[in-house]
Amino acid sequence: MNIWNPVRITWLHRANPVVKLGLIIGLFFMTVLTHNLDFVMYQAFVFTVCLLVLSGVKPWKMLLFLIPFLLAFISSSSSMMLFGKGDTIWWEWGLFRVSEESFYRGLHLGFKGIAFASEGLLLVTTTSSVDLFYSLMQKLRLAPKYAYSFMASIRLLPMVWEEYVIRRQALKVRGVLPIRGIRGIVSRAGLYVVPLLAQSIRRAHRVAAAMEAKQFDGDGAKSRTYYYPFRYSRYDLLVIGLLAAAACCAYIAAGYFPWFGIGDVRFD
Amino acid sequence: MSNAVVGLTPAQSAETSLEQAVCVEGLRLKYPGEDRLMFKDLSFSAARGEKVLLLGPSGCGKSTLLQVLSGMIPRATEVPMKCEVQRVPDSWGYVFQDPDTQFCMPYVDEELAFVLENLSVPREEMRERMQAALEEVGLDLDELHMPITHLSQGMKQRLALASALLLEPEVLFLDEPSALLDPEGREQIWSAVKAVSEGRTLIIVEHRIEEMAHYVDRVVLFSPEGEILGDGPPAVIFADYEQELKSYGIWYPGVWKDYARSPAGKELFAPIDGKDQVAGNRLPGDGGTLPDVLHREPVIRLGAFRGMRWNKPVISLPSAEVYPGDFIAVIGPNGAGKSSLLLSLMGLLRAEGTYELCGEKVIQGKRRKVRKERERKLRQIGFVFQNPELQFLTERIGDEVVYSLLVDQMPPEEAQMQADRCLERFGLKGMDGRHPYQLSTGQKRRLSVATAMARQPAVLLLDEPTFGQDARNTFAILEMCEQLRCTGTAILMVTHEMEIAQRAATHIWEIREGQLTSSMPSPRWSGGTESKRHTVAGVNGAADTPSVISAAHHHHTGVSS
Repeated sequence: MNIWNPVRITWLHRANPVVKLGLIIGLFFMTVLTHNLDFVMYQAFVFTVCLLVLSGVKPWKMLLFLIPFLLAFISSSSSMMLFGKGDTIWWEWGLFRVSEESFYRGLHLGFKGIAFASEGLLLVTTTSSVDLFYSLMQKLRLAPKYAYSFMASIRLLPMVWEEYVIRRQALKVRGVLPIRGIRGIVSRAGLYVVPLLAQSIRRAHRVAAAMEAKQFDGDGAKSRTYYYPFRYSRYDLLVIGLLAAAACCAYIAAGYFPWFGIGDVRFD
Repeated sequence: MSNAVVGLTPAQSAETSLEQAVCVEGLRLKYPGEDRLMFKDLSFSAARGEKVLLLGPSGCGKSTLLQVLSGMIPRATEVPMKCEVQRVPDSWGYVFQDPDTQFCMPYVDEELAFVLENLSVPREEMRERMQAALEEVGLDLDELHMPITHLSQGMKQRLALASALLLEPEVLFLDEPSALLDPEGREQIWSAVKAVSEGRTLIIVEHRIEEMAHYVDRVVLFSPEGEILGDGPPAVIFADYEQELKSYGIWYPGVWKDYARSPAGKELFAPIDGKDQVAGNRLPGDGGTLPDVLHREPVIRLGAFRGMRWNKPVISLPSAEVYPGDFIAVIGPNGAGKSSLLLSLMGLLRAEGTYELCGEKVIQGKRRKVRKERERKLRQIGFVFQNPELQFLTERIGDEVVYSLLVDQMPPEEAQMQADRCLERFGLKGMDGRHPYQLSTGQKRRLSVATAMARQPAVLLLDEPTFGQDARNTFAILEMCEQLRCTGTAILMVTHEMEIAQRAATHIWEIREGQLTSSMPSPRWSGGTESKRHTVAGVNGAADTPSVISAAHHHHTGVSS
């Protein structure tokens, strides 16, 4: 959680989480439904810039977080390039067949991945889970029992990790020798899953009992008051405007400065 | 409901209902899958403002009764039960045992707000009420918006008490709130409880009762079958049921002294004269001749030893030696690096410096060959983790010990025989076929120690093995350690229990802020020599055992006169 700590608070932090969630889902749909290579490339570029500026996280840190997505870009685009269908063959060697169409489709896929990642991270880096669930309860009438069980389980995750580390050490101490191959993986998984699950279930039960003891009524959303009030504010409009403008920029740029200029990349 | 008040006139029943804060009559309850009833026609009530302590052996149903009295059973937890009368208080608060599983939110203020939200308290009043509650329990935080994970276990329990207070409870139910705390935390939670108990009814379940045994108005003692054995003022109960308190493993005041007087305790705490040991028979029953002893090598020798986590030293020892037959209690505040010491000795943390085990150098390094060699050497050490369940590998109790022996390349028939003997010694015989998870907490602990001990390691490392255990289990673990010590195994035990350090251990290592700050013989080791008084005073003020100090003092003056 601490690694996301922003150095600056931006408009995006101040906007209502529900608005952000809606906005990001909208952007997701836009990216999914885009089949123009230039547009997708500009989306990836524009939203990465947005992410660097609006997340409030130090840019070098953010770029570090983007490394895994870069790897995803390389792997997804290269596999599409090497194995995808196409008529205009550029290069062929055994199973590998790079065609013009598959090459562009590979790039398209890679850029889509980057665009998705940036859009998702825009939400994740600027919204805490507590904020998100509080505003979902207040604005979208999410039943408190779901919201609080999610928040409680997020709190329990680090404990599971801690236990995983102890279990690993304990197995080493007990002299469990690694068995190679698939059978090894399966038996190894069993050695971890059973004790960790047993502990987690017990812990979840205890947390639930403690919540009940604090007079938690999962369905009583009507009379419930909220410690963090979430209202719509002008920041919501600002953020909507900003991200819409970013999407428009990408569209216009794709129209005026196309890099590839090949239109729809779908193969039919 | 009507059955219970048949004999009473309406006026009388109204009066009793006013006086009684909680009440249950004719309670019958049975957990699904269990053979017997947990309670059979049990009646219990507490008057308004009364402070009641429920005592009894583990598994006798005290905690279940608490849940019935609060109405959690059957409202929240569905358990088949039947009773004639169940009077649940209008408002109540509950503090549970485990500090880590009482909260659902990540921050202190959010957790307290969760309670206030449940009560529909307007937002403007929230902060004020949070602050008042924290003040009441003596939790002084600079900032309300503080991650709960940054609090110590003792502080977490006080936070749990504070959130219970926000409910403005008429009755407070405390279910072993101090069982998983160190002595400091235990003291804090009980002084907080005392501070807030004014005008409230308290129903307490607890094994560790030193802090509040004489504070309560009434003690109710349960039998293992869930029947009420005794009910009265603390002094009377403690005097009349001494034998039961002992056999139920309750930490009543003076339990250590009583145990020390028993035959088992005399053996366990038998003084060892350190001076004699150096010259002669250091180990009981060892019968070693003088030259033999002179050649006795330390089993562990450390020089400029450092245990590392993420390239930062978390524990450093300039130099230290451990001899066969030593029982070293590793003490110090939480997070000082006690567990890290054990982990780095076990090779689970990267280490630097000189480390000799049984006269052979343990070489640090990442290369595969070096690592294999190191792991082979470190097999001479046994390790017992705090949570026994995370250590079990097999699905049968019988197989657990066998597994340890098979890893050491013992022939299967011999391993089976030795495992049987081992289980018998640990009182686990006859349940070979059951799953380790089906054991009671004390039995699980014994089994985890058995798996480590069966291999007869040269060194045994134990991480707070008595933590959260009742007195009986604690003594059982210490007795097992003593047996092993007598055969020449060196023992390092991390503990918060000063009584263990002073009575059972031979040496005490104190660790503070990642440094071994002092290592000295324990009062037991110096067995009646002058250093005794010095040692006791030297154990960092945490010496919460005036009895030992005064005993040592007597001894000292006795010697000098």
